[in-house]
Amino acid sequence: MATLRSLIPFFILATLYLVAAMLVKSSYHQLILTLVLVWASFGLSWNMLSGYTGLISFGHGIFFGLGAFATVLAQIYFDISPLVMLPVSAVIGAAAGLLIGLPTFRLKGHYFALSMLAYPLAMLYVFEWLGYQEVTFPMKRENGALYMQFSDPRIYTIIAFAMLTGFVILTRFVERTRFGMALIAIKQNEAAAEAAGINTRRWKLSAIAVSGAIAGMVGSFYSVILLVVTPISVFGMLVSAQALTVTMVGGVGTIWGPIIGAAFIIPVGETLHAELGSVFPGIQGVLLGLAIVVVILVAPEGVFWKVKDIIARRRGEKGGAERVDDGREIVPVEAEDDQAAAPARAKRRISDEIVLDVRGISKSFGGLNAVQDVSFTVRRGMILGIIGPNGAGKTTLFNLLNGFIMPDAGQVLVKGSDMVGKQPHKLCEAGVGRTFQVMRPFMRMTVADNVRVGAYVRADSEEEAVANARKAVERVGLSYAADQVASTLTTKELRLMELARALAGQPETLLLDETLAGLGHGEAADVVGVIRELAETGTTIVIIEHTMQAMVRLADEFLVLDHGKVLVQGDPADVTKDSRVIEAYLGKKWSANAKG
Amino acid sequence: MNSLTRRIFTLGAISALPLTMLAPPVHAQDADAVKIGLIAPVSGLYARFGQVMRMGAELAIEDINAAGGIEALGGAELELVVIDSGDTTEKAKAAAERMVAEYPDLVGATGAYLSSFTLAVTEVTERAKLPVLTLSYSDLITERGFDYIFQTSAPAGDQAGIAIPTVLDLAEATTGTRPTTVGIITDNTAASLSSVDAMKDGLLEDNNLELVVDEVFTPPLADATSLIQQLRARRPDLVFFLPTVISDSKLILEKMNEFNLDIPVISFGIAIAEPDVLDTISPDLLEGVMSAVGNYAFAGHEELIKRVQEKYGEPWMNQNAISTYGDMWIFKQALEDAGEANREAVAQALRDMDAGPSPYFPGGVLAFDETGKREGAGLTVIQWQDGVPRTVFPEEIALSPAIWPTE
Repeated sequence: MATLRSLIPFFILATLYLVAAMLVKSSYHQLILTLVLVWASFGLSWNMLSGYTGLISFGHGIFFGLGAFATVLAQIYFDISPLVMLPVSAVIGAAAGLLIGLPTFRLKGHYFALSMLAYPLAMLYVFEWLGYQEVTFPMKRENGALYMQFSDPRIYTIIAFAMLTGFVILTRFVERTRFGMALIAIKQNEAAAEAAGINTRRWKLSAIAVSGAIAGMVGSFYSVILLVVTPISVFGMLVSAQALTVTMVGGVGTIWGPIIGAAFIIPVGETLHAELGSVFPGIQGVLLGLAIVVVILVAPEGVFWKVKDIIARRRGEKGGAERVDDGREIVPVEAEDDQAAAPARAKRRISDEIVLDVRGISKSFGGLNAVQDVSFTVRRGMILGIIGPNGAGKTTLFNLLNGFIMPDAGQVLVKGSDMVGKQPHKLCEAGVGRTFQVMRPFMRMTVADNVRVGAYVRADSEEEAVANARKAVERVGLSYAADQVASTLTTKELRLMELARALAGQPETLLLDETLAGLGHGEAADVVGVIRELAETGTTIVIIEHTMQAMVRLADEFLVLDHGKVLVQGDPADVTKDSRVIEAYLGKKWSANAKG
Repeated sequence: MNSLTRRIFTLGAISALPLTMLAPPVHAQDADAVKIGLIAPVSGLYARFGQVMRMGAELAIEDINAAGGIEALGGAELELVVIDSGDTTEKAKAAAERMVAEYPDLVGATGAYLSSFTLAVTEVTERAKLPVLTLSYSDLITERGFDYIFQTSAPAGDQAGIAIPTVLDLAEATTGTRPTTVGIITDNTAASLSSVDAMKDGLLEDNNLELVVDEVFTPPLADATSLIQQLRARRPDLVFFLPTVISDSKLILEKMNEFNLDIPVISFGIAIAEPDVLDTISPDLLEGVMSAVGNYAFAGHEELIKRVQEKYGEPWMNQNAISTYGDMWIFKQALEDAGEANREAVAQALRDMDAGPSPYFPGGVLAFDETGKREGAGLTVIQWQDGVPRTVFPEEIALSPAIWPTE
């Protein structure tokens, strides 16, 4: 299994750790070895939600604490063994995740992070109010093992080890499937992910449920190790912070992050505490804090990524040169002149079938009428250019078309059915793809993976997604760079990659938002060439562009917007001569000159 | 293997932080000394309390050794091993594991200040069969059926029950009449509310007290006027005062002063008698405020109080210092009884101990019941007098007579 094969380095290290741990006799050192695994597991839980989706949770203690209290209270009141409560705590954690996710995912960014903080703090007071200031596991002098009260502390390490291994495999599995791809896409740009056909809400809920399940189980196990549960020790700020700290130090969004982080912070913190705590009280906290600050300064994304970058740079010194050569070879600059372009446009057959019918759509923000009563139709196979000066309402119109903004009035008919009020990923499923004015590539992923994110909407299996992604990369002429990491691409290549991502979902209609922005003259020509090819192979294209120059060569028809209204719609050649258009772009004075 | 893993851990720390090497641990090498552990928070949020405990322990060991050490062991000296329990339950548990793993020759220990730390620590020491004395007063500590834990203070559940008659006796002794009405001003933190609930669930009734003002507020308090107006309107004979935050105490005491209310104020615990209270509240406002605490330096400890002031610059000797001082003397007694420096023998000596009146703990005797509670453990009432909290009750151990404010 490929997932397991990719984890071979983990299994080798893990085996060494376990063998070393089995040789440790001191119960104190054994406890530290166990705690490393516990906090690494908790970090993996945090990573599952926050590392991959980028929705920072300051409140993972909620799941941890519920697991811990469920376990101790079950033994006190019902004499249920923690062995039973470990999986039950996972269920409790998952349920809590769903309950919390449903309302909280309405919030974004800092608001999400801060409201997550509130849950464990609220539970802290609830459990204090319930009278559980301090709860301990009843000591089992006989049959201790049945209640996970082992006399040999190595058994705790073995269990923690098994849990961590399970979570690592689970995480890697998620990473490699559309689940993980969806989460990473959400992290990069939730809007783009929606536009790529990802049901972001569903995946986020899945992520918080899995994350909560892991945290609940870890909390349950932690309570068994400590034997004493207090609201502060499981719901406290420090618990939630620990998940962040180990992951951020080690590396966010990778299985290795929490493991590296925990293996560093826990023993170093404890050793400092043991060696210095009674000599220079408090100095250990200062030193550990400094160490974390240094790590974050040197490796802001975490140790793992830093090391990976250094290795990549070493290798890149040889490989980099080849890449440049490849680039020159495979992407010849197609210097097409206007004469050549015109016949190409004429050649293309535009059917009469209307794929997109916009009727009287309007949107105002307070007193600003951003889009007023805009109507137009798009026929299969055509390239419609929507142009207009800055602030004309082009992007708002796009957002109205694919569901990011609800119109105040009007209809958007995609192949006859009204899509107003549908979520963006629904439009994507209906065959309308889009790109964004501001590029949102997934920088750490390869071109192939970037594009694969967009492929899932039409793919039933991983294989199909990979195949569709490969085809899309081919269509934009980026095959030579398919295995490169996005961060190494040029602006033009990134634009093409975004185009491929939209194409991978096999849209019938493609909405392109200022795809040519930021490109040099020659580069723009290359991208224009690719877009034209797409149109020739049957994709309908609606493109927003700020500058008219490139568009004249590309579009079959222009729709000119000004102050939110349709100024004129028609053949590019006519439109560019239209005095109203010139006036809108350049002002009255220039339009008078143009006439003259 | 032990030393190897330890080296690995140390290596980790050193490679990250060369500063670690600047402070190699110093362990005394005296083979004959009998080692007693003090596991308490000497760093972090609760560091002050642990440091005060350490002062008490050090003074006691000084005194015991100066007086000839353990006679039954040929004058062997006591040696203190301080283990930092840190500021979280997890650190306390790890510290306990470290204590039992790295100091196998400890014969006993005292700690760990906060009851949740004590609970975690004793889960470890119970399994290691190491006897532990504690000043923590959570009921849970001695309710777990443990054999190696000994609690010197009255447990929390009993404290309100002991405190109320104690306070009423005090009022009667100083004014000649027993109070009949009471007000309660409490914040809504769990610890405060659990004491208040115990009072309302019969304690007040048992003591023939009528509750005439019952005010609960959420910290932090913005304005105490309405609370104090209640008091002024109903004029209870005394007020039980249970704030947790010092700024709330200040607001309420200031307001009472402003309204010229001379109702006796009785608090619980030593929070209202810590030196840092004086940073916020002026001694005039505190004058006369009382508190019921598990232990405090009392009559007979005058010399000790002076030494704490001289040696450590502490303004007075509080519960943590005197109890830990007393714990060392209990260990000395147990070692004398046991006749060997062995933890099992010391534990047995503690269980069998019957050493008469307790010179460093209020009420009761130096003997422990089968759960580990000190028999007859009482409380002390302290009162702010001339800017210093002084033990004023029980009378036989009072440092000065109580002043009962009268109108």
